[in-house]
Amino acid sequence: MSNIVITGMGVVSPMGVGCETFWENCRKAENGIRKITSFDTSALRSNIAGLVEGFNPGQFMPSRIYRRMSRISRMAVAASIEALEDSGIGLDAIDKGRVGVIFGTAYGSSSHVEDFYQSLLNDGPRGAQPFLFPETVPNAPASHVAMFHGITGPNTTFCQNDISAEIAILYARNLLLQNVVDIVLVGGADELSAMQYACFDALGALNKVKVKKDEPVKLVPGGGLVLGEGAGVLIMEKRDFALEREAEIYGIFKSGVNTGGITSIGHYEINGEQTFRAMSQAIEQAEIDSDKFDRGIDLVDVSANFSAELDRMEYIQLKNIFPKHIKDLRVTPLKYLMGNFGGAGIIRAASILLALRHQHPLPVLKAEILKGEPYDDMEWEIPSLDKIETALMTTSTFGGGSTSLIFTGN
Amino acid sequence: MNKNPSKRVAITGIGVITAIGESVSEFRQGLFNGKCGIGPVSLFDTSGFPSQLAAQVKNKQLETCIDVRKFKRVSRCDLLGLIAAKEAFSDSGLDLDQCNRDNIGVVMGGGAGGMRSWEKYRRTLQSGKIRPRPSLLLPFASCTLADFIASHYKLTGFRNTISTACSSSSTSIGYGFDLIQAGVQDIIVAGGSEALSELTFAGFNALRVMDPFFCRPFDKNRKGISLGEGSAIFILEDYERAQDRGAKIYAEVLGYAINADAFHMTSPDPDAMGMSTVMAKALERAGLSTNQVDYINAHGTATKINDDAETRAINRVFGRKKARELAISSTKSMIGHCLGSAGAIEAAATVLALYSQILPPTIHLDEPDPDCNLDYVPNHSRAQEIHFALSNSFAFGGNNTSLVFGRANVDI
Repeated sequence: MSNIVITGMGVVSPMGVGCETFWENCRKAENGIRKITSFDTSALRSNIAGLVEGFNPGQFMPSRIYRRMSRISRMAVAASIEALEDSGIGLDAIDKGRVGVIFGTAYGSSSHVEDFYQSLLNDGPRGAQPFLFPETVPNAPASHVAMFHGITGPNTTFCQNDISAEIAILYARNLLLQNVVDIVLVGGADELSAMQYACFDALGALNKVKVKKDEPVKLVPGGGLVLGEGAGVLIMEKRDFALEREAEIYGIFKSGVNTGGITSIGHYEINGEQTFRAMSQAIEQAEIDSDKFDRGIDLVDVSANFSAELDRMEYIQLKNIFPKHIKDLRVTPLKYLMGNFGGAGIIRAASILLALRHQHPLPVLKAEILKGEPYDDMEWEIPSLDKIETALMTTSTFGGGSTSLIFTGN
Repeated sequence: MNKNPSKRVAITGIGVITAIGESVSEFRQGLFNGKCGIGPVSLFDTSGFPSQLAAQVKNKQLETCIDVRKFKRVSRCDLLGLIAAKEAFSDSGLDLDQCNRDNIGVVMGGGAGGMRSWEKYRRTLQSGKIRPRPSLLLPFASCTLADFIASHYKLTGFRNTISTACSSSSTSIGYGFDLIQAGVQDIIVAGGSEALSELTFAGFNALRVMDPFFCRPFDKNRKGISLGEGSAIFILEDYERAQDRGAKIYAEVLGYAINADAFHMTSPDPDAMGMSTVMAKALERAGLSTNQVDYINAHGTATKINDDAETRAINRVFGRKKARELAISSTKSMIGHCLGSAGAIEAAATVLALYSQILPPTIHLDEPDPDCNLDYVPNHSRAQEIHFALSNSFAFGGNNTSLVFGRANVDI
């Protein structure tokens, strides 16, 4: 039995800032995708994204601390503060050298890359702004988290597109199992920047939808990516350590597998063989023996993000994993509500863990919606479940990587 | 033999491309001859920058080194990495058709990745003359090299990329070590690649940490870093498996550690607590005592603060007497600071030192800094018995990594 548990979380997301708001909006399937107002999209083919609104870093830290931070670092530090508070850990009472900070992000602060480079283009070699440069490294958010809390244990950052945060969870488990650390702050974060949005637009990867301000966003599965932003932090620790300090446990990280699919750059794995392998191995390693569903799983959280390639592939592989129940299978594509970003895995995991703790199911859609065919009835439902014991979280990214994680209730 | 009861990890293949050599044999020759790869940059206009030199890979026809038609939209960074990967696979003698490719993972360390391609896109866009090719944007993510390598060699195991600036590729070797030691994977392709870019060149110039001439680690007159580029890729393999197939074993990976200074985004902690702890933890993981270490490939950037702090950390961890007996060198004096690939290239230098029993020098060390009072193998390589060695990488954001290697077939 896995002895890795989650005891705290912090969320800054398009579906709300703070766990309480996020959970409330999760339960209602509140859409966080809306018209972009933070930068000009008039020359682009899309103008929607999952946007974090109402985030005020000043509510979390003094301005002298966040003044030079990028948006992604501010969101990451804010999520870490909430997560630590939620976990009840008093960092001053423990060895901070045995606390890790492991993050996943697809691009780090792309706005600082753009702003720094623009200062070079505009003002020449001697006009490039030195204070913008340090935030261009993707490890800046994890470093700020470590600096803010004075955490000197293992610290690293993974960048593997959409599975970045999931890989961070796997590495955090690695550290805990090696007994190198007692606690890990495992995070995922990304910011939406004008530069990044324009790049995806230029590549023709976005869902070509333009809306007016406050106009409801209607999206078609398979129509193309919808980007998002946000940050999440989970507190992971060994069960014994958590029990000893009388922590409240959200759930258990039961098993996790990372595989690599073969595809071209910019594309998802075509046939999904490795996505299937990740899911089936994670299920096997979790030793789920219930037979109430094909595989004893109550929640299926998918990484579908409106991309025709990914969503369809996930549907096909879910059909292979749950052959008896595919027609009735309901799944939670949380990215349909908050957009796609590399650090999203932590927020998705947070939603699963909240569902496990509150014994309240996540909103679901019929799995066949992922096929990307015209579908009139894209209504979110709240399934009725007597008990929520096990959740599967599957993620695949362009470039080919996949992860599957299994969480169970305490 | 490693005291850890879990699997041992061998290095059975290396590929290297740098400013001082575009293959393992050329790199080895350059390394032990104290060749300086730092010079003018031709990739972009450096006029106007306080420092205009860097260690650029000289080959102007890199595209001919691999079949680029198989790698659409490949950036310079990925190209360097693919060239090194090709050499590493060939060097390892692995017959991939005889391997279970689900058990071969790719763990890379990335820095600025395809930034140079993105810069070309941005400059073209800014000029407003023609519409830039959107495909230049694809390699912006630092993980494209891992995807290219996995896709080309059809490797379906673990796939991930670490991005912690200057310690990225050292940590990739560490994570690769973890995955094999735990029996999760049989083989890991680890390492990293970095190409010079305007962004990093302008960034380090703006921070005023670049030497206007060439970097002079541990020298009294040092004025900062010289940037570099290149790639080093390793084939890490389950030791027993490697022995069974009669593979050449360069060295054994014995352990590693990572940690954080939690001090400053760009400046190392002058007390060097993070640097000291990461070395001590790496040795602990390897099951080695400080007395057993013969050589340290230092991070040795040639900034005043880094070299002082690293010297202080070595003195603290090893004690003054043992620290003076250690051989320490900064190979950045020859290859420049290769950022995302620095850790892997310096690990390659360390492994080649163990394999060849020769210490690489710190060149341009003409006037030793009295605050840096250890044996930095000044200017000339030295033949010496080396059993165990460390390779240090200390990054922006205070991300420290220390790797421990042992000579193949040596008992601890």
